[in-house]
Amino acid sequence: MKKTAKALTVAALSIVSVSGLAACGSDTESVDTTVAADSSMPAKPEITVAGQWARQSPMATDMGAVYLTINTNIDDELVGAMVDTSIAAMTQVHETVMGEGDSMKMQEVDKIEIVAGTPTELKPGGYHVMLMNLVKPLELGTEISVTLKFAKAGDLVVTVPVLEEAP
Amino acid sequence: MKKVSHVIVAVLALSGFMLPLAACGSEAGSELLGYISPSPMSSAGISVTEQPGGTAFELKAQPNEVLIVYFGYTNCPDVCPTTMVAIKNAKKKIGDLADRVDIAMITVDPERDTSNILPRYLSSFTDRFHALIPASDSELRTAEKAFGATSSVTKVDGKVEVVHGGTAYIVDETGSVIDQFPFGLDAQSMANDLTVLLNERTQTK
Repeated sequence: MKKTAKALTVAALSIVSVSGLAACGSDTESVDTTVAADSSMPAKPEITVAGQWARQSPMATDMGAVYLTINTNIDDELVGAMVDTSIAAMTQVHETVMGEGDSMKMQEVDKIEIVAGTPTELKPGGYHVMLMNLVKPLELGTEISVTLKFAKAGDLVVTVPVLEEAP
Repeated sequence: MKKVSHVIVAVLALSGFMLPLAACGSEAGSELLGYISPSPMSSAGISVTEQPGGTAFELKAQPNEVLIVYFGYTNCPDVCPTTMVAIKNAKKKIGDLADRVDIAMITVDPERDTSNILPRYLSSFTDRFHALIPASDSELRTAEKAFGATSSVTKVDGKVEVVHGGTAYIVDETGSVIDQFPFGLDAQSMANDLTVLLNERTQTK
């Protein structure tokens, strides 16, 4: 699943030149999304997202989860996420953590460190973007737009298909 | 779904369990890919209130069938639906045998998971289920104890925090726990185990 996200402006590093790749199209085979470019840096700083999906809502629940893999060639931090309030009232980055035995609980995280060259997976049983108080169920075959907020690279908007399970 | 074996390893390692399986589990065989507890567990004689209706449901399978018992809650966007979708897809993979797989979900959050909520939630995943809503804390704890499970619901700063086990337990007609699906076990592995267990039951009848 290589749905594209649209690049956004970047509020990074005070002197920012938005990369040439702002706003790629929203279909075709396109590459994922690119944010940030500081021309003084040797390689083009780039954060891309792949494999993104949102879980189809079971009936009678208004919680949702979004999963994806972040690839980056710069060290940065994912510091938050948001969706439009027409989709969900609140969006947080959560982690499911293991306790004693097989016990598991979810907790909000302030940030997720992302390290250049190392993919960061948000996947079931680990990190996820949690959508709280969904306005309506997430239906198979639809897409939602999720904004990921990075400490340095700024915002990255990702188009996320609703699926039953990981693509 | 190739990463599942790593998840299983991680889950079992964290739990301090021995690994009884050749974790990769994509080929159907006669071996079980779930976790088999070295100490026998049974839920025979233990019941939880089923809704709607309010009748007591005893935690054992119908003759010649298996019952999957899962402790979860509906406001759980990550772990519970992952397991429920895997069970749903495992049933799809085993053809007519799926008719002999029953599912009971016991909510660990009965205050929020009322009789209006839990049955509808489960109907998203299967057409054959038991929505079990403990009528008292002791009812929940007694059921959990039978499986060595634990859970808690606490309110922190106005937010509800739920801790629960990620395991689905496979119970036979005597109430014995004959297999366990740790969190992250994929549908193919579940399908393998359900096939093995149901075929064993066919042969012994």
